[in-house]
Amino acid sequence: MAMSRRRRAQVSRGIQYGILAILAVVVALAADWTSLAENFADPEIVAGMFPEVLSTALKNTALYTACGFIFGLGLGVVLALMRLSPVGPYRWLATTFIEFFRGLPALVVFIALSVGVPTAFPGREVPGDTLGIATLALGLVGGAYMAETIRAGIQAVPKGQMEAARSLGMSQSRAMVSIVVPQAFRIILPPLTNELILLTKDSSLVYLLGYTTASIELTSFGREVLNQEKSMTPLIVISFCYLLITVPLSIIVRRMEARAGKAR
Amino acid sequence: MTDHTVTREARRDAAIDVLDLHKYFGDNEVLKGIDFHVDNGEVVCVIGPSGSGKSTLLRCVNLLEEPTSGQIFVEGIEITDPDIDVDAVRSRIGMVFQQFNLFPHLSVLRNLTIAQQKVRKRDKGDSEEVARRNLDRVGLAEKEDAYPAHLSGGQMQRVAIARALSMDPDMMLFDEPTSALDPELVGDVLAVMKDLASEGMTMMVVTHEMGFAREVGDKLVFMDGGIIVEEGLPAEVLANPRHERTQEFLAKVL
Repeated sequence: MAMSRRRRAQVSRGIQYGILAILAVVVALAADWTSLAENFADPEIVAGMFPEVLSTALKNTALYTACGFIFGLGLGVVLALMRLSPVGPYRWLATTFIEFFRGLPALVVFIALSVGVPTAFPGREVPGDTLGIATLALGLVGGAYMAETIRAGIQAVPKGQMEAARSLGMSQSRAMVSIVVPQAFRIILPPLTNELILLTKDSSLVYLLGYTTASIELTSFGREVLNQEKSMTPLIVISFCYLLITVPLSIIVRRMEARAGKAR
Repeated sequence: MTDHTVTREARRDAAIDVLDLHKYFGDNEVLKGIDFHVDNGEVVCVIGPSGSGKSTLLRCVNLLEEPTSGQIFVEGIEITDPDIDVDAVRSRIGMVFQQFNLFPHLSVLRNLTIAQQKVRKRDKGDSEEVARRNLDRVGLAEKEDAYPAHLSGGQMQRVAIARALSMDPDMMLFDEPTSALDPELVGDVLAVMKDLASEGMTMMVVTHEMGFAREVGDKLVFMDGGIIVEEGLPAEVLANPRHERTQEFLAKVL
């Protein structure tokens, strides 16, 4: 019996959906929902976490991430321009920096800044308390990653753009700032969003610095409640809080991309 | 390697004067001693097969390519002098590219005003007035809010011309301005260029449009293999080419 090509595709897709539905049902039936609800969704514990989970923990996570990202972005642009510089020492310096901080676990950078700096320079520490160290550590690591992304973005802008800008009398640096870098950022918006989301999660390493009720961020907050209540519920709550940051972010970026797409 | 020492005095009154220009890309010599000038108000068309060095010559005039040796004078000032302010020189020479090179992230109006503001230091009002005047000149006044992606190739090239004109250049360089266009769009761009020529703009045009060269050009230069093979009045060169290479080339394109 001959089926048309389109008909065959429909049948095959139907089978895929069917298998997926059966799997979902099997998992749902096999799971012990009462025990799950007890351990992961205790309404009393959930209620007890508010409002601090939002007003302190979520706010701090967003703050550490935002500061680290902004510092890292600035650092990344500088490093990227150094990597592309005709001046040898700039290139070597930037390459060394990038290789070094990209290779280190963020954890090590946090410890180095919080413990290493006071050891190396007795009586001194990174200014700005927890926020200062978090910004610096997340920025150093994020900047090293972003530098390579930004460099690739700059190189992806057609050579004619720089030539057109120069032929209008703009200097090399003016052309970079006004013409090339803005176009590079359009190209690298998606990977840059990735980096911001990774940093959001890396910000949980702030726990290494110790915390107070005022400086606590999401992961530490969840762990505190978990230890008190002997329940997994807080992990579910903070997971939703992380999604509360990352999902709107993705939506905003998708909007920006759509708008940039119109101008392309 | 080259012993071409027949130097002459630079023509200080010429718009562009090129003396014994050599350009290497690596070991490849693409310009082998070019001697050539463009007078003020003159339209000079440069033709030749691809790889003849005609685009490289044009790009040397505003130093997008750095000459290996030789001298280039623009309005009597030696731009090949290492101490020259290249940006200042370029801002007085308009350049139009084969691929338009409009800034895709900026609106048409902003494409025309950004260099006026950043280089000429004109304020927003003045620069927009100049921009609108030039958009009107190329027949695209209604497109000032559009982005380049929404324009046809012919419109993009006319915007690119208006962008260059907004800097009030003393001369214009055209690098195969119609080669990337669909045939039916070529006419609009050539019409704008013809208007410019009739207003007395000094123009150096690398082109394959023999009709334009014959009708608008004051001088025609034929290049091949990195040298100027023949130059003269367009009608004469096109009708009675003296050199064999010119004859062969014209036989193929006409």
